[in-house]
Amino acid sequence: MIQLAFGRVRVRLRERAGAAATPGTDARRVLQLVLAGIWLLDGLLQYQPMMYSPMFGQMIGGTAVGNPGVIAGPISWDAALVAQHLALLNTVFATIQLLLGLGIAYRPTLRAALAASVAWSLAVWWFGEGLGGVLNGGTNPVTGAPGAVILYALLAVLLWPADRAGAVAPFAAARAVGAPAARLLWLVLWGSMAYFALTPADRAPQALHDMIVGMAGGEPGWVTWLENQGAAVLAGHGLAASIALAAALTVIAAGVFLPAPLARGALVLALVVAAFIWVFGEAFGQILAGGATDPNSAPLLALLALAYWPPARPRARRPQADGPPAMAVGRPDEKFK
Amino acid sequence: MSTPAWILDIFAIVMLLVAEVSAGQLVIACAWTRRGGTDADIAVSHLLMGIAVAGILVPGLRTLPNAVWEFVFAAMTAWFAWCLWRESRGRAAPVTHGHYAPHLVQGAALLDMFAALTGAMPTLHASTLALIFALLLIAFTVYDVDRSAGVDGYFRVVGRRSALAVAAAGPVALRQPTQRLLLSPAVVKGCQVAISVTIAFILIIMI
Repeated sequence: MIQLAFGRVRVRLRERAGAAATPGTDARRVLQLVLAGIWLLDGLLQYQPMMYSPMFGQMIGGTAVGNPGVIAGPISWDAALVAQHLALLNTVFATIQLLLGLGIAYRPTLRAALAASVAWSLAVWWFGEGLGGVLNGGTNPVTGAPGAVILYALLAVLLWPADRAGAVAPFAAARAVGAPAARLLWLVLWGSMAYFALTPADRAPQALHDMIVGMAGGEPGWVTWLENQGAAVLAGHGLAASIALAAALTVIAAGVFLPAPLARGALVLALVVAAFIWVFGEAFGQILAGGATDPNSAPLLALLALAYWPPARPRARRPQADGPPAMAVGRPDEKFK
Repeated sequence: MSTPAWILDIFAIVMLLVAEVSAGQLVIACAWTRRGGTDADIAVSHLLMGIAVAGILVPGLRTLPNAVWEFVFAAMTAWFAWCLWRESRGRAAPVTHGHYAPHLVQGAALLDMFAALTGAMPTLHASTLALIFALLLIAFTVYDVDRSAGVDGYFRVVGRRSALAVAAAGPVALRQPTQRLLLSPAVVKGCQVAISVTIAFILIIMI
């Protein structure tokens, strides 16, 4: 019965809308939707009870340590402000992230939400994460360098719903900014991670071991077990592990400049490294321990790697076929330009 | 420190609104159609979920004992699992692929939640299971929001042809704007998204 009544409404609405078809979902749209899901998760995590405790303000204030005064000053001001208006500000933060997720998922608001997410990410990267610790030497790619939140901004730029005229993009991330710029951004990101992996604090014999053990606190038994196993393997091998990690990150950084088959190999390596980082270095973003504000950097690194995945070469077209080029097939975003 | 009560109140109000809208949909649809009711299960599930979730969020809105809700959501989960199985076997009327999956996950998540509240569920992997349910609900939410309202909506596609035929033959007009609004696909989708987000919210804050 309900279906009939709903059907009638649907018929009328469709007639009124000129029977417009649902726009398709291409690779870039799928990546945008994953990004939307992560924002949504972030928003919900921000509502957790721990975020309404003084710990949240202290966590923000802690990121100021070791940063230059010009960076640390605003962070301390932000931490004090959050401490004073904790419930209100944290709810605003959570709701903003929730709306960013819904806004990216809802096609008519996609552009506005992506633009807002860039601004929000940059603000949080500075005021909430102390630039990811890149200036104070206390960061490591295994624990999230150069800061998870900056990756949201990078993804928003690379997945922007636009296409450069006159060129067929070799991968989804190149559609809006072009292949040279997309490759340069990739090189800077993964190259910087390789650099951070080799900083003195991170190549100490017990550095990685201690980092991973530190992630096990408050986690469920199976996560603690995984962390302990990973830490045991790396115990005393901090230097070798750091060099191996830096080498892998360098290969990944250079990979997108290689021909497609080799680039795919580098991207698979990126996915493997991201999985390693997420499981052992980040303990699944410490979500299961409670008190995490996001799933950390690894899922975003994996999403980024998928955005650079070169599509399979299109099959030779029949002479009568006169469709758009491979990356242009079913672009839903055209509608929203 | 815990999540402030006024935030829980806001989510509870949204859930009561969803329950009210679902009840309205059922009443209006009953008044206009003679028989059928293939999508009544979804509207009923929204109604029950709205009431149950509001009770979880605000103890003052609790209507039934947790054990009763546990039974209700066990039955609901079994029903949608059966619908999904029929759909996958092609024994049901043709529907949008995965039509029942979100409702199944919502029912299972609430079953898990009430089982945890009654102590019937071992807490060994409680947080892991809660996170898995939350992630699934988030995925369905994103998928729902992405799709245009009114195109392959939650209500069975089987209704489309018959509805088209009925409409062509001169259906009962939905003259009242309120009635039209209640049955609009956007409102149906809104209810679906609100329920998924709220259940995911509860699961996350319970971790």
